[in-house]
Amino acid sequence: MKYIPIYLIFIPIITSMIIYLFNNKYVNYLVFLSQGVITYFSIKYFSLNNHFLESNILNLGGWEKAIGISLKNDRLSMAFIFLSIFIWWVILLYSWNNRKGDFKFLFFLLFLEGAFLGLLQTNDLFNLFIFIEITTIISTILIIYKKDGYSVKSGLYYLLFNSTGMIFYLLGLILVYTVTGTLNMDIAKERIELLNNTLIIKLAFVFIMASIGVKSAFFPVYNWLPKAHGAAPASISALLSGLLIKSGIYAYIRLHYIFNINDLNDLFFILGILTALSGIIFALSQKDIKQVLAFHTISQIGIILMGLSSYETKANIGGLLHVFNHALFKSLLFLGSGIIINHYNTRKITEIRGVFKRLPVVSVIMIIGMFSITGAPFFNGFVSKTIIKYGIKHNSFHSILFFIINLGTCISFIKFSQIFFGDFKKTDFKKIHSRSSMIILGISCLLMGILYAPIINVFYDIDLSFVNIFSLSALFNYLISLVIGFFIFKFIIDKDFYPMKKIRHLYISFETTNFMLISFIIIMTIISLR
Amino acid sequence: MKLSIILAFITLLIGIYGLIISKNIIKSIICFNISQGAVVLLFLTFSKEYPSSIPIISENSSNMVDPLPQALMLTTIVIGAAITALALMLSIKIFHYYGTLDWKEFIERNG
Repeated sequence: MKYIPIYLIFIPIITSMIIYLFNNKYVNYLVFLSQGVITYFSIKYFSLNNHFLESNILNLGGWEKAIGISLKNDRLSMAFIFLSIFIWWVILLYSWNNRKGDFKFLFFLLFLEGAFLGLLQTNDLFNLFIFIEITTIISTILIIYKKDGYSVKSGLYYLLFNSTGMIFYLLGLILVYTVTGTLNMDIAKERIELLNNTLIIKLAFVFIMASIGVKSAFFPVYNWLPKAHGAAPASISALLSGLLIKSGIYAYIRLHYIFNINDLNDLFFILGILTALSGIIFALSQKDIKQVLAFHTISQIGIILMGLSSYETKANIGGLLHVFNHALFKSLLFLGSGIIINHYNTRKITEIRGVFKRLPVVSVIMIIGMFSITGAPFFNGFVSKTIIKYGIKHNSFHSILFFIINLGTCISFIKFSQIFFGDFKKTDFKKIHSRSSMIILGISCLLMGILYAPIINVFYDIDLSFVNIFSLSALFNYLISLVIGFFIFKFIIDKDFYPMKKIRHLYISFETTNFMLISFIIIMTIISLR
Repeated sequence: MKLSIILAFITLLIGIYGLIISKNIIKSIICFNISQGAVVLLFLTFSKEYPSSIPIISENSSNMVDPLPQALMLTTIVIGAAITALALMLSIKIFHYYGTLDWKEFIERNG
């Protein structure tokens, strides 16, 4: 039982290889065996280690800590591991009907799971780089899985831009290694503390944060995200938007803890606001269902970044909680949009009508997801947004901005909800995917919204008495923003004025994105060296 | 500062400059490779003090090179090769679909 961290990485990878080698539809059922085994192992590991009051470190190969590779698990990584195993269950259930004979798809899906679990557990700066690159390469292959021109183009954009970002991670790694002489995260943290914020450490921090910013789609460098997440098949979009984008956020939390440099926190808070606002503005202008959802991923990442970079501990925990809630409701929305697109054979919001009459179960679950993302009471988005709001309430300007961001989300989803009303034209009926995975996600959204306190208290000791889901004022606030949002939508957004069209057709080329990356690095350098 | 570090740094700047200005997919891939190679060179030159011997333990192994950066950079080169291969394959596909390798000339899907 000591080697469970290794099993978690290698059981999915070895299963994927067996599936690829045998190429037999009965062997494909091994997927569920491997999922079951790692679910059992992760729960066992969590209970064996006394709920991780102390972190568990496993040194591989019998080497001592400073030389060898080590895997480290604490409460944060265990929470992410549970989340990722859960999301993989959901994706497998969703795509099983269509893909059960598709051994290549299952191979890449399971290999990605192993690499992602490795990314969460590693305690080595260079292994983090390797795992991030592996997930980038495999998710590129999954993005281009439909093999049409648009998805191939988006896949190439995603691959090249993310790899360009990781060059700067290597550059930062060189500086850290030259100064501290180690790649182990714990030892590096101790030695960096002794060095007391020298120039080189700050430069290394800037370079590493730039690459993490690319990976998790911060303000100037998120152009790859709507392309990649919009082009992928629905199940892969749900995986990318729900979970893989969080690999950047996870690395942000870990590396922030290692470097312990707070000079850039104000900048990251502003970047979070800009990310959220610009994501919403782009989302309002779009007419393609998946593009709207992809831009909302950007805006939610902005909210998460606002929470994580705040100086308040409560806001930090709220941001962390929003990572999990966002994974649940955004995968739900993407899976639902996949069913709708498959059913109607179009992606235009303006052309899809009457979903509620045609697909009642899917619509009800998607409405749950929409209530969650807009932050209605009793749904999970409400809890994390309230905690972030409570953390930043001492600054009224920030509170107003947060309200505007929430209002924008409401407007955008009022626009989105048009697809449920009206009548549908008779077209040929297509087979629908399994809905059970969506029902599981919808129920877990509701559970996280109501039973949030015991679930959070397993991982963090925090007093959550200020979150009251029955409070009338919160409900009133939500209804007010819905009403304002409805009028803004009716009189401004629905008219589709010229600037909206301009924003919709804005195309940012690859070299421009690289230029933005370089200027992002230069701005961070100037601010941190000031 | 050693000359090799300056040269590696200049190579890195050339690669980044190429990434900023090149409008062609193949040129972008080449510039990505140049900048990654420059980073590999930087790491190797940072960790090497002249004169030094190869990192194999023998009788006169007093002044060995640090072997860790070399192992790490070997891995980086392998990853870079994988990314380059995948990117080149995708650019062939793109040429089949669109008939061009220019980033800007793709027909944007309306959305």
